[in-house]
Amino acid sequence: MAASIAEVLSAVPALSAERPVTWPKRTKARLSNGLEVGLAESHAIPKLHGELFFRSGNAAAIQRGPGLAEMTATVVRTGIAKRTSRQIEEDLRRLGADLSSSAGADTSAIAFAGLSELAEPLLGLVNELAREAAFPEPEFERERRQKLEEVKLSRTQPGFLASERLRKVLFGAHPYAQVSPSEEQVAAYKRDDLLSVYREFYTPENGMLVLVGDFDPAAMLKTAEKVFGGWAGKKPTTTAAAAPANPRGRRVYLVHVPGAVQTQILAGCDAITRKHPDWVRLGLTNSLYGGAFNSRLVMNIREDKGYTYSPRSSVSPLRQHGYFSVSAAVRSDVVAASLTEIFYELDKLRSLPVPEPELADARNYLSGVFSMGLATQEGLLGQLATVALNELPDDYLETYREKVRSLTPADLLATARRYFDSANMQIVVVGDRVQIEEQAKLFGEVEVYDAQGSRI
Amino acid sequence: MKRLQIAMESTTLTNGLKVVIAPDASAPVVTVGVYYKIGFRLEPQGRSGFAHLFEHMMFQGSANAAKMQHIKLINSSGGLLNGSTHYDVTNYYEAVPSNALARVLWLEADRMRALKVDDENLRNQRDVVKEEVRVNVMNQPYGGFPWLDLPPVAFRNWANSHNFYGDFADLDAADLGDVQAFFKTYYVPNNAVLLVLGDVKDEEGIALAKKYFSDIPAGAPPPFADPSEPEQKEERRGNVEEKFGTLPAMAIGYPVPPRRTTDWCAMALLDQALYGGRAGRAYRELVLEKQVAVEVDGGIDDIFGYNGPTQLVTRILHKAEYSSEKTLAAFDAVIREVRDAGISEDELQQLKVKWRSDYFSTLEGGRGGMPRYGLMHLLACFTLFDNEPQLVNSILDGFMAVKREEVQAVAQKYLRAEKRAIVFRRPVNVGAKEAA
Repeated sequence: MAASIAEVLSAVPALSAERPVTWPKRTKARLSNGLEVGLAESHAIPKLHGELFFRSGNAAAIQRGPGLAEMTATVVRTGIAKRTSRQIEEDLRRLGADLSSSAGADTSAIAFAGLSELAEPLLGLVNELAREAAFPEPEFERERRQKLEEVKLSRTQPGFLASERLRKVLFGAHPYAQVSPSEEQVAAYKRDDLLSVYREFYTPENGMLVLVGDFDPAAMLKTAEKVFGGWAGKKPTTTAAAAPANPRGRRVYLVHVPGAVQTQILAGCDAITRKHPDWVRLGLTNSLYGGAFNSRLVMNIREDKGYTYSPRSSVSPLRQHGYFSVSAAVRSDVVAASLTEIFYELDKLRSLPVPEPELADARNYLSGVFSMGLATQEGLLGQLATVALNELPDDYLETYREKVRSLTPADLLATARRYFDSANMQIVVVGDRVQIEEQAKLFGEVEVYDAQGSRI
Repeated sequence: MKRLQIAMESTTLTNGLKVVIAPDASAPVVTVGVYYKIGFRLEPQGRSGFAHLFEHMMFQGSANAAKMQHIKLINSSGGLLNGSTHYDVTNYYEAVPSNALARVLWLEADRMRALKVDDENLRNQRDVVKEEVRVNVMNQPYGGFPWLDLPPVAFRNWANSHNFYGDFADLDAADLGDVQAFFKTYYVPNNAVLLVLGDVKDEEGIALAKKYFSDIPAGAPPPFADPSEPEQKEERRGNVEEKFGTLPAMAIGYPVPPRRTTDWCAMALLDQALYGGRAGRAYRELVLEKQVAVEVDGGIDDIFGYNGPTQLVTRILHKAEYSSEKTLAAFDAVIREVRDAGISEDELQQLKVKWRSDYFSTLEGGRGGMPRYGLMHLLACFTLFDNEPQLVNSILDGFMAVKREEVQAVAQKYLRAEKRAIVFRRPVNVGAKEAA
């Protein structure tokens, strides 16, 4: 084995013996009404963090209206049978609690955190939100107008415009194509639509409660049964979605923002979900490419060339499909130069095996950072939820690092060839057309859009 | 009421470097921070943005670790690293598996001892910083609003009022001489604190600190310009163009009482009363009830992390059909109510429970995946500003002792028109003109 960089610098202290990681003990249970519960202790602070998930989100509501699950979640907190909007907010404060209700593509969720000494009344409030939301007409009207303004505002953000276009291009007729409703679609929301989404999605059989914090799990499980046990409801039926577009051949989509002083690049292609057997090796390949500070892409276009502050690559695993993407906000005169380096580094990983010392560094990075993510209540909650929602094996946390550490240069070469599909990457550039169109043309046929999403 | 007691040990090395060790062996992870008592407030005049540019330079190479080695050595040990520039401090921090502790301390000591950077590094990071300013400020709707917009209107002392991210001309003018001079002046062990938190024992941490840092020579005590402000006697107003967003916006800043006074504690609870989420009076009145505004938030940013004049800031994005004056009148009604009627005992109790709960989250809070960032930040600031890291265990008491009358009194004393500054951020987009 070649010497790693650390040993070359003789003055650098060597790593001492690794101390074993104690993986957090988890309790899995199901309440009498079918609600799945996951619990873990974490005693660093006298608080608890929790999230009540429902396995249906905006994708499942798309036929009734894009973004409807999100709108439903927003209005859930504005009134319940026994408490007005103002009472809910003041009661939360009384419990030292924060709460948010929101929906993504695949889930709706009520997330909360509060003092552990006040856990039971907080869970009681969450239970009421999940079962007895009243959707008061004036609250709905106000939140709908708020949403309209939010939608307008997001169309002035380069990051939003880039991801909106990429998702449309990659997913086509699949519900994942739409990341946000249009103004017209928000205007068309009806209170009854929200109620029907709420009744269908917010049921114990469709739900999962995850709690992490300063409590005794056995006692907490009893409390959860007492609070949520009387609630009943079935899983909603699901309909199959259209296949993603997954277009062939490289194309460029230019979103024209007059007066932009920088260009947001976002390029992506179809990849995999977390359940896929290649998930961990793609994670490591991505970390080496552009997923870490010490990655090839960051070292190249930031630390060597100074084109950008924040280059990054990532794998976005939605439940049914995942995609790989690279992003960088770059100086507008180096859009072509940045794309050249982005593709150079992708193709290099597809062409040459990663040198063993570099791979060893990347393996260490990913396995070290993984266990660090479990050190806060919120971080641990996120990991427990990921495992449960994606139906990953119970020993996912314990075995992850071993999986990472077993990967070889040959594994990474095969992974890059399979998933860094550079010939079929779809390239979005958000910036001033006058400054970037000629550069963009070098990478494929260019379609130009305005910030409202219309082809120009 | 459950309390949280953070165990710690602290000492000062012969070269003046302060050291704080906070052991907690619950996970084999250790967080290391080095804080220097210099931020963008007191950076050199004519060199706006320099403290932040300099922070970038600290990753560009030191005596025994060339450019990229800092990053490589931390990442390849399984750890994360970053740095950030604040008003009065600049920090560098790492979270690593505890078997890499000696390595991290060696690296931090190496760059405290000597920077080894060249023109090429400086050019590169100047380019990176400009893209950072573009992505966070110049190419974003409401970028830099109001943290960069309000100070030039609110303050008269250059220290508090200049562009902290830096005018590009000033960034371009900075040279290697400036870098080495700034380093020599402020990056001396007697102007810094080293923090080691997590999987480390007291005596082990202090021994390692001595081993790696004690031979770094102390420097002259750094000079600090006076950041105080002349007394303000009338309201100040300013205007800034909004290039991308379509909603008119405004920010209002009121002065904050001196740190660690009764007024300061009362002001913090008043902050909670006004801005504590959807229950806060400002959001409730302007967004939920009167529906004048689309976004309202604010407060005292990083209340434990500054050491000079700062403000209680309100940020409002309002509907175009309401004029700035009407929106401001709605905001003024919120302020008038708390000044005239104060808050109820029930409200005060709610605020205290929430404040305590938020404080625990601050201590636990990670940043960018790094555990114990919050605790590190508080220990560092209490050490550099007060020489009293133990404050982390007692500071909560002052907030829990605040009385109703004190909240009303601080509102009357500080939330006054002649003490405030207002910035209007007006959209230039056609079709987004504000109603008269």
